[in-house]
Amino acid sequence: MAQFTLPKNSKVTEGKTWAYPSGAHDVREYKIYRWNPDDGKNPRMDTYYVDCGDCGPMVLDALIWIKNNIDPTLTFRRSCREGVCGSCSMNIDGTNWLACTRFIADTAEPATIYPLNHLPVVKDLVPDLTHLYAQYALIEPWLKTDKAAPERERLQSPDQAEALNGEDGKGPAACILCFCCTSGCPSHWWNGNRFLGPAVLLQAWRWLADSRDDATGERLDNLEDPFRLYRCHTILNCTRTCPKGLNPGKAIASIKKMIAERRS
Amino acid sequence: MAGNDRPLSPDLQIYRPQLTSVLSITHRLTGIALSVGSLLLVGWLIAAAAGPSAYATLHGFLASWLGLLLLLGWTFSLFFHLCNGIRHLFWDAGYGFDLRTIYASGWAVVVISIGLTLVAWIISFGMRGPHP
Repeated sequence: MAQFTLPKNSKVTEGKTWAYPSGAHDVREYKIYRWNPDDGKNPRMDTYYVDCGDCGPMVLDALIWIKNNIDPTLTFRRSCREGVCGSCSMNIDGTNWLACTRFIADTAEPATIYPLNHLPVVKDLVPDLTHLYAQYALIEPWLKTDKAAPERERLQSPDQAEALNGEDGKGPAACILCFCCTSGCPSHWWNGNRFLGPAVLLQAWRWLADSRDDATGERLDNLEDPFRLYRCHTILNCTRTCPKGLNPGKAIASIKKMIAERRS
Repeated sequence: MAGNDRPLSPDLQIYRPQLTSVLSITHRLTGIALSVGSLLLVGWLIAAAAGPSAYATLHGFLASWLGLLLLLGWTFSLFFHLCNGIRHLFWDAGYGFDLRTIYASGWAVVVISIGLTLVAWIISFGMRGPHP
């Protein structure tokens, strides 16, 4: 059921304003969502001032600068800092993106940072992704084949590989499972218990489109459900927000089309 | 979905409205408006069948500024739902998912449905007969 307001314990309150860096010449303001599991209080928005003359060019650099210089308790996930691990996905200025590939220069003043939307918060900008990973497991994201194991790799033609990689490198296999799309999908906010969401459906398509996989019928049976697949109403926030430029909306349409074609 | 006493991170309250989501919710709202509007159409037919005085009452309401505003809203709802419905048909067939195309077709739906609404009103005011 659609839920338009946050639960009582989730309402965001006014937070504290942290020290302005002294001697800085290029200062930008950051409003950042904070929640501490140990103090029993509601989430709050803290204000930080970042000396951008003293930190790297990306939003992730600004967060690390805050952690190093202002507030060591600020908590967020990060790893590769180059857009391939998908750890630092968060809501920046109202849409989801990777903090490591969003330029500070492209953010609003003040910049506003929340964790990914509609997920239980572990701490600050760290959401609990357990449910999303369980949904990923549900599509059985591994190769299923009836054929005996070959002597060497299972080969694909360039065309068959392109179905996965895309002619521009933006095919479904390029997904890094950052869940920017799923957490920005209104259908998933309101039916997330049963609707699989764009990231997982993009991965479902990745295996349906794989020439080496023989379980197409079984996979489609698993998806042909009023909620799992068809709660997608082609809102397309997913394609709009994907920080890798992939197209979950199109992948979902491809699955729907495949099911329609097998019926006829 | 929220486990223990963990807060739920904000969603609708903070997610920036974009052409994608705004046109989607508008499609739903115009669909609801059209369903309600079809009741009015039925009411209009009943009034016409019931006789001159019932018809005059309903017509008096529709000719008032509130009635005209509702009719304008329903006209726009009809054209928007029609145009965006065609957009959805293309998507169902697997076309038009490139982000630039999504935006181009979205703005086209906005412009065309406003344009058709204006054309319909200009024509119907031009054809308006004497007051019954």
